[in-house]
Amino acid sequence: MTVCENSSFPAFYNEKRGKNAIFGAISHMHARANIRYMTKVTTNKSIRLSEQLLKYIPILFAVILWCVLSFREQFFLKKVEDLSVFLFDKLFIMDSFKTPGGFLGLAGSFLTQFLYIPWLGALIWIALLLLSYYLTIRALRIPERYRPIALIPVALLVIGNMSLGYGVFIMREQDHFFAPVLGYLAALIPLFAIKRTQTVASKLILLTIWTAIGFPLFGTFAFIGTLTAACTTFMDQEMLRSKRLTILAVSLALIIFIPLIAYSFYTSYRLVDSWHMGLPSISDDQWTFAIRTPFQLALLFLPVMAIASRRLKETDSKNIIFQTSVYIISATAVWGFWFKDDNFRTELAMSDAVDRFEWQEVVDFYRKAVDAHVKSDDKAYDDRTAKLKGVKDQDTRNSIIDSFSDRFFEPTRTMVLYRDLALLKMNRALDEAFTMKDGGRLQKSRTQIPMSFQSGKQFYLQYGLVNMSYRWCLEDVIEHNWSYSTLKYMAMHCIIMQESEFARKYLNKLEKTIFYRKWAKGQGLLTADSVMMSVSEPYQSILPYMCFENRMTNDLVKSETFLMKHFSESEPPQPTPEYDRAALLWAMRTQNIPLFWERLYYYIKSNKVEQLPKNVQEAALLYGKLEKPVFDLPYSKEVENSYDAFNRYTQTNPVRNMKESAYPYSKKFGKTFYYYYYFIRDIQTY
Amino acid sequence: MKKITIPAFALLLAACAPKAPSAYDKTDSVPAIFPDYTDVTIPRNIAPMNFLIEDDADSYITVLKSGSAEYSVKGSQVRISQSKWKELTNAPEINVQVYARKNGKWTAYAPFKMTVSDEIDPYISYRIIPVAVESYEKLTIRQRNITNFKEKVVVSNTMIQDNAQGTCINCHHYQNGDTDNMMFHVRQYKGGTILVLDGKLNKVNMKTDSTISAGVYPSWHPTHDYIALSNNWTHQSVHAASHDKLEVIDENNDIILYNTSDNTVSVIENDSSELECFPGWSADGRTLYYVSAHYEAPFGPDRKNQMFIDRKKLHFSLYSKPFDPDTRVWGKKELIYDAAAKDSSMTWPRVSPSGRWMVCCISTHGIFPLDQIASDFVIYDLNDYSYRYADELNSPFAESYHSWSTNGKWLMFSTRREDGVHTRLYFSHIDENGHFSKPFALPQEDPDFNREFLYAFNIPEFMKEPVHITPRQFASFISSTEATRSKYESKKGE
Repeated sequence: MTVCENSSFPAFYNEKRGKNAIFGAISHMHARANIRYMTKVTTNKSIRLSEQLLKYIPILFAVILWCVLSFREQFFLKKVEDLSVFLFDKLFIMDSFKTPGGFLGLAGSFLTQFLYIPWLGALIWIALLLLSYYLTIRALRIPERYRPIALIPVALLVIGNMSLGYGVFIMREQDHFFAPVLGYLAALIPLFAIKRTQTVASKLILLTIWTAIGFPLFGTFAFIGTLTAACTTFMDQEMLRSKRLTILAVSLALIIFIPLIAYSFYTSYRLVDSWHMGLPSISDDQWTFAIRTPFQLALLFLPVMAIASRRLKETDSKNIIFQTSVYIISATAVWGFWFKDDNFRTELAMSDAVDRFEWQEVVDFYRKAVDAHVKSDDKAYDDRTAKLKGVKDQDTRNSIIDSFSDRFFEPTRTMVLYRDLALLKMNRALDEAFTMKDGGRLQKSRTQIPMSFQSGKQFYLQYGLVNMSYRWCLEDVIEHNWSYSTLKYMAMHCIIMQESEFARKYLNKLEKTIFYRKWAKGQGLLTADSVMMSVSEPYQSILPYMCFENRMTNDLVKSETFLMKHFSESEPPQPTPEYDRAALLWAMRTQNIPLFWERLYYYIKSNKVEQLPKNVQEAALLYGKLEKPVFDLPYSKEVENSYDAFNRYTQTNPVRNMKESAYPYSKKFGKTFYYYYYFIRDIQTY
Repeated sequence: MKKITIPAFALLLAACAPKAPSAYDKTDSVPAIFPDYTDVTIPRNIAPMNFLIEDDADSYITVLKSGSAEYSVKGSQVRISQSKWKELTNAPEINVQVYARKNGKWTAYAPFKMTVSDEIDPYISYRIIPVAVESYEKLTIRQRNITNFKEKVVVSNTMIQDNAQGTCINCHHYQNGDTDNMMFHVRQYKGGTILVLDGKLNKVNMKTDSTISAGVYPSWHPTHDYIALSNNWTHQSVHAASHDKLEVIDENNDIILYNTSDNTVSVIENDSSELECFPGWSADGRTLYYVSAHYEAPFGPDRKNQMFIDRKKLHFSLYSKPFDPDTRVWGKKELIYDAAAKDSSMTWPRVSPSGRWMVCCISTHGIFPLDQIASDFVIYDLNDYSYRYADELNSPFAESYHSWSTNGKWLMFSTRREDGVHTRLYFSHIDENGHFSKPFALPQEDPDFNREFLYAFNIPEFMKEPVHITPRQFASFISSTEATRSKYESKKGE
C-alpha cells in the first residue's frame, strides 16, 4: 500500500489487483495495462523487501563496526584502555567528582576498562550506540520514514572516537571513549521525563532539578538535555505560546546560571570552561576544537531535531531514496573521517607487544607492515618512472619525485626504534637491524606527538634508563592523567630500583583493577625478592643495560636523540655484552665512523664472538674503504660479494638524486648497511 | 520521656561497644601500626589519631584509655570519633591496648601511649604536587584544619591557566601564621606574586632591571612590612639511575628585601661568585639568616651544564646578617657554618618563634634537600650557635621543608620516610632543652591515606586561622589583574 502512494499508479489497482489477475486482459490496452501493473507489483514487492532490509541497516552497520573494531582496530582500542584507568578505590571515585560531569567520567572510565578485551569493549560501545539510535527515535518521536536521521548523531559519535588518531596519546580525559555516548544518552533522560509532566510548573521544576543535578553528574550534556526538553515543549502546539516561551526562557537561564552558581563549589576548572565540562580536551586549542566538533554536532542534533521533528509528518511512504541517502552519507562520513594510517596501527601493535615483552611479535608486526606495501611501492615506482620519462629539467623531476614520496611506504621513527629494541633483546640486532626497511616518516598527525610522551617510558625502561622512564610516566600523569600504563611502568621502575614500599604504592592501585590485579600480585612477589626479580622478565633483560654510571640527564623531549647520545657518550666501568651490543647498534645509527670503531672495540672485547654479525661486517668493510680501517677484520664471502656488487652498481647507476635512486637501490641493497649509510639520511626525529 | 530515652540509648551504645577479651596471652612487642603512633607526644587539639593495625590476625580490639575516658574499637582500622577523642585528650596521657585474635586465641600486645601536650595552631597549608617532575598541570595549595579532618583548596592553578598556557603556583607564606598577611607566587600565565596585605589582594612583579629574577623563597619579617626573598634561576635534571630522582640547581641566586608598604625591592646580597638563598628571619627580626655557596664559572650557555657536573661541589654555608628594621640598615655578614670545610650543605634556616632554636636542612651538597635522600635536620641553639643533628627527627630518607608553630612548641616538617619518594607531613614537639619528641604523621580520617595518595605534600606552613579569601576570589583576581612592577631601591648600610 505504501508503495502505491509513492507511485503514479492509481491506488485502486492495488486494491483490485486480484480481480485484474483473475479476469485478465480483454483488450490490448488492458493487456498493456496489466503488464505494466504486473511489473509494478514485482517492483512493489522488491521495494517492500528493500524497506524491510533498510530497517536492518543500523544493525548491519553495527555488525560491520564491531568486526572492524575487533579485528582491525583492536590495538587502538587496547591503547585507549591502556591510557585510561578505573580503580575500585575511594580516593579515585571521590576525585572523579571534583569536576562537573564526574559521574560521566567515572562511568566512562569504568566501561573503558573492558576495551582490554577489544571485542568486548567494542560490543559494549556499539550496544550503547544502538541504544542511542533507538532512544533518539523514541525521545524525539521521529516519524518512521525519517528514522535514519537518528543515525546521524550516532555516526558523529563514531567519527569523534575513530578520527582521534595520535590524539589518543595526549587526551586529558580518561573516559573520552565512552563519555560522549553516555553523555548523549544522559541528555535524552529529560526528554522522556518531561513528557510525563502536565503543568508548566512541574515542567519547570523538572528542568531545574535536572540541570542542577545533571551538571555535576553529566557536565555540559545535562544542558543539552535541558535545551532539548525545552525545545520539545516549545514545539508543543497544544500549550499556550506564553507558557512555552516561559519554559524556554527558564531553561536558557538555567543553562547560563547553574554553572555560575556551581562554580562556587568547585576548584578544578575555569568559569569560562563551565559549558564544556565533560567534553574531551587536549592541550592544543585547535586540536581540541577538532576533537570536540563531532561530539558537539551530535549534541546539537538533539535540540535541532526537537524542533524539526515536529514538522516531519508521518506518512505511509518510506522514501527509500531519502533513507538510503542518509545511510550512505553516514557510512561514507564515518569511513571518510576514520583515522586510517597503517604506520599508526603498526606502532600500536608493536607497542602492545613491547608491553608484553613479546619481542618476536614486535619484529613480526614491523615485517608485516613492510610486506604489506611491497606491491604498492612497486606500483608507485612504476608510476613515477612513467611520469619522469622524458622529463629532463631537474627541478621538474624533483617536484615529481617529491609528489610521489608519500606513496612509498616509510616507517616512523617509533616503529624503527621498537624494532631495534626487539632485535636487541633477542640478540639479533647487529645481524638484522639494517636488513629491514628504514626511514623517518612523520606522524600523520596535526602536531607531532613527542616520542617521549608516546613511548618514552617503554624505551627508557627497556634500555635501563629507569629514572627517565619514571619521569615520563609522571609527566604523562600531570599533562594528561593516570593510566594503567603509567602505573605499570612506575611499578616496574620501583621494582628494578628495589624501592619496595614505593612499588607497593602503584601495585596496590593496580590490584584495585579488574584486568591488572593478577599482574600486580605477580609483581608484588618480586618487590621483596631481588634475586627472583633479576631472573624475571622484563628485569632480566633490562638490568644488563644499567651498567653505566649515574649522571644527570635531560632528554629535552627528544627520546631518540637522547638514547643515541646516551649510548655514544656513556662509558660504563664494567660494560655488559648487552650494553655493548646496544652501544654498537646506536653508534651505527649515528653514521659516525670514529664512534663506530670505538664501540666496535668494546663490543669485540665483551661479546667475544667468533664471527662479527653481518651488518657490523658491512659497516666495518664500508668504513674501512671510506677511511683507513682501524682493525683488521675477517669478512665473510657473502659480505665481500655484496660490497663488490654495491660498488659495481654505483658505477653503472650513478646517484643524481637520492630520493630518485633510493627505491631501485633499496630493491637491490636495501638489506645492507651500505644502503642505510648512503640513503637513510637527514632523518627527522620527534 | 526524653530524659529516659537518652541514657537508655547511651547504655545501648555502651553495650554494643566491643569489650576487651577476658582471657588472653601477652606479648612484649607493641603492635605494628600505620602510621606509627606508638609513644608519641601529641597536641591536645589535634585530630583523632586514626591508625591501622598491620599485624596479621583474624580480629582486633583496641582499647584507648585516658583518665576516666575509655573508648574501644573493633577491627584493624582504628578510627576514633571526634567527640570521644576530645574526651581522651583531656588527660595528659592516652594508653592504647591492642588485642588480636588468631586461630581463636587472643593476644594482648604491649600497650603504648600517646602523651598529650601543648596546643598547636589549628590550621596548616601545603601544596599538593606530583613528585619529581617539571610539569605543573594540576597544582593546588590547600588548607587543613588539623583539629579535625576538614581540608579545603586555597587556590588551584586549574582555575587560572588556559588550555595551552600553564600556570604554576608556589611558595605560599604567612606573616607569623596570620592569613590576613599572606603571599604566594603565580608563574608563567597570569604570573605575579599575590600578596594579601591586611586582607586585601595585590599582585606584584618583583623583577626589576637591577635584580636577576622575581622573588622566590620568602621569609616575612615578624614585625615590619618586609619580606626577604631569594632570586633564583632554577633548573632541574634527572638522575639517569639513582634512588635520588631529580637534581635541582640554581644557576644564580641573590637575596632581596621587598617592602610591602611601598612596593620596593632592594638587594640584600648579590655577589656574583656567591649563590645566596633561603633567607630566614630571627624571631626579633634583627638578624637575617641565609645560606650561600661559593661558585665561580663564567655566566653563559655552558654554566648550567657545568653546574650539573659540579653539583657535588656546591656547598651552601650558613650566614647571618644584622638588620635594623626601623632604618633598614644592614650590617656585615657573618659565617656561622662553613659547609665547604665540612663537605656538606646547609639549607632552609628557620628560627623558632622563641628565638632560641634554629632548624636547618643538611645534606651532602646542593640547594634542594627535598630531592636528596641524604637530607637531614640539624638544630642550632642560637644562644651559643652550637648545633647537633636532630636524630629524633631524621630518617634514612629525605627530610626537607619545616615550619614552626606560632607558639614555638611544635615543628612540622616534610619527609619521605614512608616510601622514599612521596613527602608526607610529620609533627614533633620540642622541649625547653631543644629535644624533639618522636615525630608523628598528620592524622588522616582514613589511616591508609598516606599509602594510597599518589601526590606529595609540599611547603607545609602553620596558620593561626584559615585563609578567608575563596579560591574563586583568588582565581578571579589573578586572572583579571595585571601585576604591578616593583621599584628598585638601593641597599642601606654595610
